[in-house]
Amino acid sequence: MGTAEAQQSLFNPPRTRSGRYLVLSGVVHALLIAVALLWSRFFLPPALDLSQKPIHASLIRLGKPREKQLLPEKEEPPPPPPKAVEAAPAPTPAPPKPTVPVPGVKPTEAHPVKVSGAKQGDDHRRDLFNAFNKISKSTSKRELTGALNGDARGDSSVDEGDRYFGLLKAQVQQAYNLPNTLSDDERIRLKALVHIYIGGRGQLLKVKRESSSGNELFDNAVLSAARQAAPYPPPPEPLREKLQNQGVVLAFTPNGS
Amino acid sequence: MALKNRVTFFLLTLAVLPALALAQAPVIQISGANFRPLPLAYPTPNAVGQVPRATLTEFDSALSFDLAAAGLFQLLDRKGFTAASSEGFSAAAINFTRWQDVGAEMLAKAQLSMSGDELRGEVRLFNVQAAKENLRADHAVPSRDVRKLAHMLADAIYRQLTHEPPPFNTRLAFVRKTSGGKDVYLSDWDGRNAVAVATGSINLLPAVTPDGTGVAFTSYRKGRPELYVQHPGSAPTALVAAGQMMTGVTFSHDGRKIAYSMADGEGAQIWVANADGGQAHAVTSTQYFINSSPSWSPDGRRLAFVSNRGGSPQIYLMSAEGGDVRRLTFRGNYNQTPDWSPRGEMIAFTARDERNAFDVFTVDVASGKVTRLTQDQGNNEEPTFSPNGRLIIFSSTRRGFSELFVSTLDGATQLALPMDHGDYTTPAWGR
Repeated sequence: MGTAEAQQSLFNPPRTRSGRYLVLSGVVHALLIAVALLWSRFFLPPALDLSQKPIHASLIRLGKPREKQLLPEKEEPPPPPPKAVEAAPAPTPAPPKPTVPVPGVKPTEAHPVKVSGAKQGDDHRRDLFNAFNKISKSTSKRELTGALNGDARGDSSVDEGDRYFGLLKAQVQQAYNLPNTLSDDERIRLKALVHIYIGGRGQLLKVKRESSSGNELFDNAVLSAARQAAPYPPPPEPLREKLQNQGVVLAFTPNGS
Repeated sequence: MALKNRVTFFLLTLAVLPALALAQAPVIQISGANFRPLPLAYPTPNAVGQVPRATLTEFDSALSFDLAAAGLFQLLDRKGFTAASSEGFSAAAINFTRWQDVGAEMLAKAQLSMSGDELRGEVRLFNVQAAKENLRADHAVPSRDVRKLAHMLADAIYRQLTHEPPPFNTRLAFVRKTSGGKDVYLSDWDGRNAVAVATGSINLLPAVTPDGTGVAFTSYRKGRPELYVQHPGSAPTALVAAGQMMTGVTFSHDGRKIAYSMADGEGAQIWVANADGGQAHAVTSTQYFINSSPSWSPDGRRLAFVSNRGGSPQIYLMSAEGGDVRRLTFRGNYNQTPDWSPRGEMIAFTARDERNAFDVFTVDVASGKVTRLTQDQGNNEEPTFSPNGRLIIFSSTRRGFSELFVSTLDGATQLALPMDHGDYTTPAWGR
């Protein structure tokens, strides 16, 4: 009985004016809520996860890996062994030879190696490739470095940390001014170590002289160089903590050894 | 005992920890610095008590010129100085921030005082960044030697900053053309305080004697070129027993030997003798060819000289005892007046180019690499090295008359010596 009364009250709107307005208002609100729900479901993008860190990617080119001692020290797990590289799926067949890209020379597309049945008509094409190879070899002064699992179209020979230290060095070198008064002997002999600590935004947190050269002007100049070069480029994420806590040592010599 | 061991271990750990921390930090090698002149502030010297204004000005100009000519310092413009002129003379009284603001890395302050005829000068050198005194030097001289005092104090600054022998308290000989001929003069390094030594004839190609008090030179006083040595106010004496026509005497760096050129029929040969002219002997024997302008290597074992044996005047090297001849210059067809650097690594010389203009060059003895010091500035000739091998003085007509210039080895700084107007040639810096 109660249910029947309720159904009647829903389908049989009240006859008073205020009652009709209340019902109308309820229907309009219900419609608006329904539209809003449908809109957010089908048209709005998914919510951002602000805790997720941005990913920086750079394409490491294919080439001979750099020697280990040239790479910066990084607190990261060791790279996968070469076997894992070989086991990695290779969707396209390897190019005939891992030729290095040469500036000014249009890269040739990778073609599958013809194992057998080379035709006479292909001799001309082979000659053309040989000519390109010769040009590449004669133009390239040094062997470009990269990674065994790099990409042939990559333009980076270094990983992120290596590149950062290169930037750091270049920036300090620009501010590295020495007085002409240094004698020839001093230009060969002097050496000073300066320890700098770099914050996450590249700001110089601390600078201290680790060892003196014995020449006050030289010591002043290298400290000035470390200070004037700041702010440094913001360190990449893997190096941030290390540069902030352990810092980096700048070993200054006048002419280089 | 155990406690002692623990303490020792603890101390060792403390000592080793910083090294371990350093070892963990990556190391970046920084080299290939940009070399530039040292920014040096040198304000007007102060006078303590009664010092004539002219004396103060003379001292100031001599010291300023020395520092500017060295080519090692960027002398900052006094107009930009913000420190009070009455600022003190000690580190405690100096506002180093003001000197830092004008870009100074070093600050040189000088003051003069007089007591009777004695002029006393003091210079102090401050490291602006470290706000501390690096040098305190003082000398006293008779008041007439005010420029000498300035050179002595400039030497002190130079020595402090370069750790090398300074060049400013040295002697220079040169020739001045007069209406009656050519006179040989002896002066301070900057051409000032010049004293005529040989006059009244044609006197050429001077060389300062090893003790710096006299000049050896070539003179036509008897109608043909002969070698003499003379001190200011005294009569000339023949350096070598009269013989054939002799020119261009030069002393070895240790002062024990001389070398010169003597005519030999249609040619001329290089001769070597003791400094007093004894035991003279020829060290070249190329009949019909001219060998001239010898210059000693610093160790006295070799000579550079000019010879036309290859068809045109070129610079050659040889053993001081003769033989082991090697041609050094190959570019150009007229290279002459070699002067071997006291540092040994290079020889300065004059070359005539295809436009018949004379310019100063240096050539590396080992590699033969030639460096030009002058270009498109009149004729530049007869270079002579400073005793420390850092500067070169030569004659130049770039301002329309022949005068003497001082240059750094790269030619970047070239200044006219502050001499009276005249016609000056053939400078020879005493060693």
